[in-house]
Amino acid sequence: MASIKPSLEFKRDLVEFGANTFNQCFQCATCSTVCPLSPEKDPFPRKEMLWLQWGLKDRLIRDPDIWLCHYCGQCSQHCPRGANPGETMMALRRCAITRYDWTGISRRLYRSVWWEVGAVVAVGLLVVALFALSGAFTPARMVTTRVAMGTFIPVHWVHISDWVLASLLTFFLLTNSLHMARLMLDGSKPPWSVYVRQLKVLLAQALVQAKWRNCEKPNRWRKHFILVTGYVTMFVLVMFFLPWLQVNGPRFTLLSWLGYYAAFAILYYSGDAMISRWRKREEMHRFSHASDWMFLILLFLTALTGILVNAFRLLDLALPAYLTYVIHLAIAVPMLVVEVPFMKWAHLAYRPLAIYLKAVKEQTRELEGAGRLRALPMATGISAGIGAPAVYSPRSARWWIRFGGLAGGGPSGGAPSRRFQDESHANQR
Amino acid sequence: MKNIHVWICRGCDIGQSLDLAALEKVAKAAGHRDLSVACHSHDCLCGEAGAGQLAQAVRDGAKALVVAGCSPRFNADQFTFDGCFTERVNLRELVVWSHPAHNEDTQMLAEDYLRMGIARAGKAMIPEPFRTEIDKTILVVGGGPTGMTAAAEAAKAGYQVVLVEKEPQLGGWLKRFSRLFPKQAPYRELEPADLEGYIRRIQADKRITVCCGTTLEKVTGAPGQFDVTLSGPGVSRRIRVGAIVQATGWKPYDATRLGHLGYGQSPNVITNVQMEELAASGKILRPSDGQPARRIAFIQCAGSRDKNHLPYCSAVCCRVSLKQALWVRELDPQAQAYIFYKDIRTPGQYEDFYRRVQEDPGIALTKGEVVSVEAAAGGNLIVHVNNTLLGPHLQVEAELVVLATGMTPVAADGEAIRRLRDAQAVIAKGEAGAQWDAAQVAVRELAAHEGTAILNLGYRQGPDLPALKYSFPDSHFICFPYESRRTGIYAAGCMRAPQCTAASRRDATGAALKAIQTVELASRGMAVHPRWEDQSYPDFFMQRCTQCKRCTEECPFGALDEDPKGTPLPNPTRCRRCGICLGACPERIISFKDYSIDIVSTMIKSVPIPDQFEEKPRLLGLVCENDAYPALDTAGLQRIPHSAFIRFIPVRCLGSVNVVWIADALARGFDGVLLVGCQSGENYQCHFIRGSELMKTRGQNIREKLKQLALEQERVRVEELAISEFHRLPQIVNEFVEQIQEIGLNPFKE
Repeated sequence: MASIKPSLEFKRDLVEFGANTFNQCFQCATCSTVCPLSPEKDPFPRKEMLWLQWGLKDRLIRDPDIWLCHYCGQCSQHCPRGANPGETMMALRRCAITRYDWTGISRRLYRSVWWEVGAVVAVGLLVVALFALSGAFTPARMVTTRVAMGTFIPVHWVHISDWVLASLLTFFLLTNSLHMARLMLDGSKPPWSVYVRQLKVLLAQALVQAKWRNCEKPNRWRKHFILVTGYVTMFVLVMFFLPWLQVNGPRFTLLSWLGYYAAFAILYYSGDAMISRWRKREEMHRFSHASDWMFLILLFLTALTGILVNAFRLLDLALPAYLTYVIHLAIAVPMLVVEVPFMKWAHLAYRPLAIYLKAVKEQTRELEGAGRLRALPMATGISAGIGAPAVYSPRSARWWIRFGGLAGGGPSGGAPSRRFQDESHANQR
Repeated sequence: MKNIHVWICRGCDIGQSLDLAALEKVAKAAGHRDLSVACHSHDCLCGEAGAGQLAQAVRDGAKALVVAGCSPRFNADQFTFDGCFTERVNLRELVVWSHPAHNEDTQMLAEDYLRMGIARAGKAMIPEPFRTEIDKTILVVGGGPTGMTAAAEAAKAGYQVVLVEKEPQLGGWLKRFSRLFPKQAPYRELEPADLEGYIRRIQADKRITVCCGTTLEKVTGAPGQFDVTLSGPGVSRRIRVGAIVQATGWKPYDATRLGHLGYGQSPNVITNVQMEELAASGKILRPSDGQPARRIAFIQCAGSRDKNHLPYCSAVCCRVSLKQALWVRELDPQAQAYIFYKDIRTPGQYEDFYRRVQEDPGIALTKGEVVSVEAAAGGNLIVHVNNTLLGPHLQVEAELVVLATGMTPVAADGEAIRRLRDAQAVIAKGEAGAQWDAAQVAVRELAAHEGTAILNLGYRQGPDLPALKYSFPDSHFICFPYESRRTGIYAAGCMRAPQCTAASRRDATGAALKAIQTVELASRGMAVHPRWEDQSYPDFFMQRCTQCKRCTEECPFGALDEDPKGTPLPNPTRCRRCGICLGACPERIISFKDYSIDIVSTMIKSVPIPDQFEEKPRLLGLVCENDAYPALDTAGLQRIPHSAFIRFIPVRCLGSVNVVWIADALARGFDGVLLVGCQSGENYQCHFIRGSELMKTRGQNIREKLKQLALEQERVRVEELAISEFHRLPQIVNEFVEQIQEIGLNPFKE
């Protein structure tokens, strides 16, 4: 057995990602008990809090559990020490994104607002420059008598650029995801059959965020899901149907209605999140890192400018339509470049992947355990004894709160607080 | 001829529930040749008009008042008059509130209580205080933070103080500790010890005489009159003091016994006391190679809360390690501190300090059992920890390991030393036999106590305070802190219980106040806690003493010395007036003016016993007035009924019950005797330490007495009860009555 290696640097690092209260944790396990998603075995976020207190970098960047948390904030609300486990998990995810990224770009973007802003501005200027280079800003191309988008910028140029950009971003996101997978598998080699069998978990998570539905705040899952449908719709439209979208004049087809749906979904829910963050209305919006703001602002502006382009087009205002289109792309492209492979939006890949890998690892362990059971029937009791010194079960604890509370008894002799009773009804629902 | 005025209060349901005319008749009938009894009743004796009538009666020459109304525990001031003895008859709680109204048995009960009250008032005398010349100087033993504070506080209150310290300078452990954990809000930053300033203030105080390098050679006498022989550098002088505060402090647990934690195996395993010195030097350099230590592991409860070492928690080690961790981080921002604990104990507001320490990123804590510390390459150490929150087994490499060792008191067990000396005396006489063999065993077992005496008291029961557990002095530490079993000597600081400097200083203030109370009350001839302001004291009729030494042995407070023949030598200012000597004396020669064998016997005999055919048993309840009697009152207040066949007499302590009372009661025709005292044993609750325990040992005598009378053993029952268990007391009484009815009535009825 090797000695653990506490890292002071890692702890200091985490402060920059927004975790500065984790040291207050005194391991009461309230967080894991109230968490509706925490599993029976090795529950989070309690262990992450302690690992972080000890600066155990190696364990934390290999930990899939940080992605199991959807930050409903119950842990932070109930924490008796104000250690904010929810925000700590969020900071760990930010930190993890930088550690998965092999290019080092992510780390710079996260740790410095100036880098982040600079990157967005630079990419935005690059987009403008590309327009200029293509000669779009010449009078010949800018027809003012009517809206002529195809003349201003031929649609296949944009379409080809979309594919180039998508390939580039996919490359970075995939390589980062592979890096993450290697960290999480940590040398274990699950058989292919397990990978295949657990694909359903990956799909369920990627498409409908299945795990999140267990959360006690279904409203948040609904909002996020509508937002996701917005993204996906927009992605499909832009990647495959751009020629039918970028048209001149008032033409309302099914495609354009889908486009409006996506744009308004994004606009509404990103605006809602910004207001919540501004007012610190909900627990998960009480602390905002610069990266959180940047993502929301870019998302909101992208949707807003997209709608404006459409509006000018319908109103037959040619110059405003062209200029807004440039601005729209000068926001959308940097957003995609910065956020998807390197920053917050990367969670679209990391979260389903982490949940998938955890399921894969668990099933592999189960298979291995069964194999060992056949091979060494005598040894299992001992190995179980060593492996699990104190089986701690948050679900049974919650069960106890729920039903022990109704029975009016309990280990402390008194009835649990009313707050717990109220929540227990919410649980049953 | 003694003139008694009986006043019956009609208030609080008494008038509505009892036949007062019959009661008055009983009162008048209680008079005899030497006793004239007048009887009156009043609507509300505790009101202004009632009080006026009583005062008028006293002015008219009443030598004793019998006030029949509420419990003696209420309105005591109202019914106390100079020059007149007041006996209270508890008709309210014990009769009308716990029994049905207009009932034959209730009426008989009230009448019996009245007879007993008149009997006592007829016999009792007004105590005259024991007055003697009292010196009010306070002696403080130990010049650490506790002793200095006790001295300063006593001086501030206007008393002369002699402060004795065996080291050449004042300061105690604080001399070696330069920075302390914060003792006040916001509990965030370490604070300096500020010892110099404190010592200067002590030395500048004209009321305080500081004697450094001095020990106590001999202490004789009693509170107010202690004669102390000081042995200083080259001089030996005698002083007289009134009370003593012992603040002799602590010493760290012997770390050489902690080999499994690496102490003695590697120079880089040190104790928290050594760490203080290391940190005070300004650099944490390893003892082995003088290199700066950057990874420092603190092991909490090193030899504490461990049945093989110190079974108790020393209360400060957690805060000390948190402080040292913070200190280490201040000295070197690159350093890391790992703390392994069983439980972090930062009581009260010190939780804020714990939070402060947690804020530091360089300090990591986890719960776990440290199994071993082993040497690794380069002088480093590997700490093995089990059952941690980080995993079932953990190992951490550290450059320095600090063991948080606990505190042991610098105190001597006076009773053990006395047993040792007695055994040595037996051996010195050289007479072979069972006694000599037992003495040999005792000398072997008690050898560790040789030469440990600190106070060197010239008391028959040993030269120091008796110890209770883990060599801390015996007193009821929760209810009565600072108290010891030697009147006028108070324990404070870490020799009383492990504690931090702030708590020690509070202790010191409390103990100084206790010492002041002693000298003040002694100067007025009054008792100290718990019979505070009692002016009675035991009187010995020496002509009949048989030198059996029972009183001198059994006195829990060492109040009685002995002359060489074994005759008791009373020291009234040491006495707490519990009456245990009265209970012990087989010759019945010890009495108080208002509490004696004769008084209680007369009370018992004043109760008329119904003959066998009436089928009304009579039981006697002798109940401790500290816990059991208040419990009875509370039961009455709660209107919990109990059998009307029992008559209660409050006693000063169960230990003050003389067997003759029980014999008298049974011989007279009482069917059973119930004795209710406080809990005995290791977690005793007795206000006088040993009273209920002594009653248990005297049970043998009682059983013999019962055998002589050819009575069943079950007729005498001893119960232990806490003041809060008032609901149990009526149950006990009713069960006992049922049991007696099953056995049958006492054949000795007239």
